[in-house]
Amino acid sequence: MADYSKKVSKKALAKSFRNWYYGHLTCFSQEHMQTFGYLVSMLPIVEDLYEKKDDQVKALKTYSAFFNTEPQIGSMIVGVTVGLEEARANGEAIDDETINGIRAGLMGPLAGIGDSLIVGTLIPILLGIALGLSQGGSVLGPIFYIVVWNLLAFFGMRFAFYTGYDLGGAAVEALVGPNATALRDSIVMIGTMVIGAVAATWVSITTALELPGGGTLQGTLDGVFPKLLPLIFTIFCWWLMAKKKISPIITMLILLAIAFVGAAVGFFGAATIAAPTA
Amino acid sequence: MTVNVFQAALLGLFACLASMPGMGGTSIGNYTLGRPLVAGLIVGLILGNVTLGIIVGAAIQVVYIALVTPGGTVSADVRAACYIGIPLAMMAINAQGLDPNSTDASALATTLGATCGTLGAILFYGTATINLVWQSIGWKALENGQTHKLYVVDMVLPWISHIICSFIPTFVIVYFGQDMVDVIMGSLPMDGLPMKTLFAVGSLLPCVGIAILLKQVISKPTDFLTFFFGFTLAAVLGCNLIACSVIACFFALINFQISTINSKLAHVGTSGSLTAGSDDDDEEDI
Repeated sequence: MADYSKKVSKKALAKSFRNWYYGHLTCFSQEHMQTFGYLVSMLPIVEDLYEKKDDQVKALKTYSAFFNTEPQIGSMIVGVTVGLEEARANGEAIDDETINGIRAGLMGPLAGIGDSLIVGTLIPILLGIALGLSQGGSVLGPIFYIVVWNLLAFFGMRFAFYTGYDLGGAAVEALVGPNATALRDSIVMIGTMVIGAVAATWVSITTALELPGGGTLQGTLDGVFPKLLPLIFTIFCWWLMAKKKISPIITMLILLAIAFVGAAVGFFGAATIAAPTA
Repeated sequence: MTVNVFQAALLGLFACLASMPGMGGTSIGNYTLGRPLVAGLIVGLILGNVTLGIIVGAAIQVVYIALVTPGGTVSADVRAACYIGIPLAMMAINAQGLDPNSTDASALATTLGATCGTLGAILFYGTATINLVWQSIGWKALENGQTHKLYVVDMVLPWISHIICSFIPTFVIVYFGQDMVDVIMGSLPMDGLPMKTLFAVGSLLPCVGIAILLKQVISKPTDFLTFFFGFTLAAVLGCNLIACSVIACFFALINFQISTINSKLAHVGTSGSLTAGSDDDDEEDI
C-alpha cells in the first residue's frame, strides 16, 4: 500500500472527514438517506486522485448507490472506501461492484453495532449521568453532556475514519471478532445497569389509592419493593413493544387510556409527592 | 412569560440545527442540541429562566433517552419535543403556578414534550420529502459533471426545507403559544379529571423511553437481571447514577474477563494444548 505512486494528500483526507462529520445527514431523504453525505465526503478524495474531470465524475458516480448506516461508527466505512479508491487510482483491479459490495456489506453490521453501542448505550449512559447532575435545574448536567459527548464523538469518528483508511477491511474485522464481541457485550451490560438506575431515579409513578383498612396502597407497595410501580409499568411497556410488536406511539396512547381510567377511579391522584430524588 | 419576536426566531433557528436530519450535523445537531436536556439549557437561556428550562428538559429527556431511528423510521421528532415542547411546558408551568421542582411540573412537562414530539414526526417526513427536490438537482449536477454543486445540494439547499418545516412552525407556535396555553390552562382546574389524567400520563410516559432502550439491549431473559440489578442499586440502596456507573463498570470488567477466559478455553478445547491456544492471543495476560 505504501508504494503507491498516487497517495491521497493529508489535506484531502481531512476535508473528506470534515464533510462526513458534518454533512452525512444534512440532505436526508427517505429514498437516498446518507447517499449525498457520502458523495460530498468522497468528492475531495476523487479530486485529489484524478486530474481529469471525467475521471473524477466517473469515480464519484460509484458512490451514488444507496447508503445508510449509523453515521458515527460508519465513518470507518468511508475510510475504507477512501483506501479502496486510492488503490483503484493506482491501477489495482477494483471495480464499482467491488466497492459497492464492500460498502453494502459493511453498512448493515456497523449500523447494528453503532445503534446498540452508541445510541443505545453510550448516549443513554452519558445522559443518565447528566440527568443526575442536573438535579434541581443545575447547568452542570447539560454542560457535562455537551463536553463529553462531543469530544468522544469527534475523536471517535476521526479515529474510525483514519483506521478504516489505514487498515481497510482489517479494521472492521477488529470490530466483529470474538474479543470485540466480549467487549461489546460488557459495554452493553453497563448500559443495561445504568438504565435500570435511570428508571429507578427518574420514573416516578405513585398511587393515591387508600386501602379499606386504613393506610395507603403506596405504603404497602413500598414495603414490598421500593419503586415497584415504575418497574411494573416499564416492563409492561417493554412487553407491549417487544412481545406484542406495538409501536411506541400506540403504547403511549395505551398509557393515556390507563391514566384516564386510573385518574377516574382514584388510582392516580393529584400528585403532591416530592420531586424525584437521587 | 411572553416570547418576543427575537426569542421566537432564535428558537426557530435552533430547531433547524437540532433536527434529525438537521443543519447542525448529527453529532452537534441531533445528538447534542437535539437532546431535551441540552435543549432545556438553551431554551432556558433564550427565555431567561435557565433553572426551569433544565428541569423541564430533564423531565422530557427521560422519555427520549434512547431515540433510535433504525432505517429512518421515527416515532418522535426531537426538534418539536425540544424547541416547541420545552417552551410550551415552561409557559404552562408558569401559568399554573406550579413549583418547578414538583412532580406535577415534571409530569406536565413530560406530557407536553411527548405530545409535541409525537405530532412533530410530521415535520421529519416533511423535511425529508422536500429534500428530495434538492437531491434531484444533485443527480442532474452529477450527471453534468458539476461536482461542486453537490456541496450546495448537501449543505445549503436543505436550509430551505428547514425554514419551511422547522423555523416557521417553531416560530409561530412559540410566539402565539402563551395565549393558547393561558386559555387552555385557565379552563382546566387543577383537581379536575383532565388535569389529573395529564399528570398521570406524564408520570407514565418515561416508561416508554426506558422500554424502548430495554427492547434494544435485552436479548435473553437473564438480561433482565442486569436491569433489575441497576434498578435495585438506585431504588433500594440509594446509589446515584455516577455510583451506579462505577459499580456497573466493575461488573462489566468481570464479565469481560470471564468471556475472554471462556473463548480461550474453547480454543484450548479444540487445539488440545494450552500453549497452542495462548500463542496467538498473547495480549490477554490474565
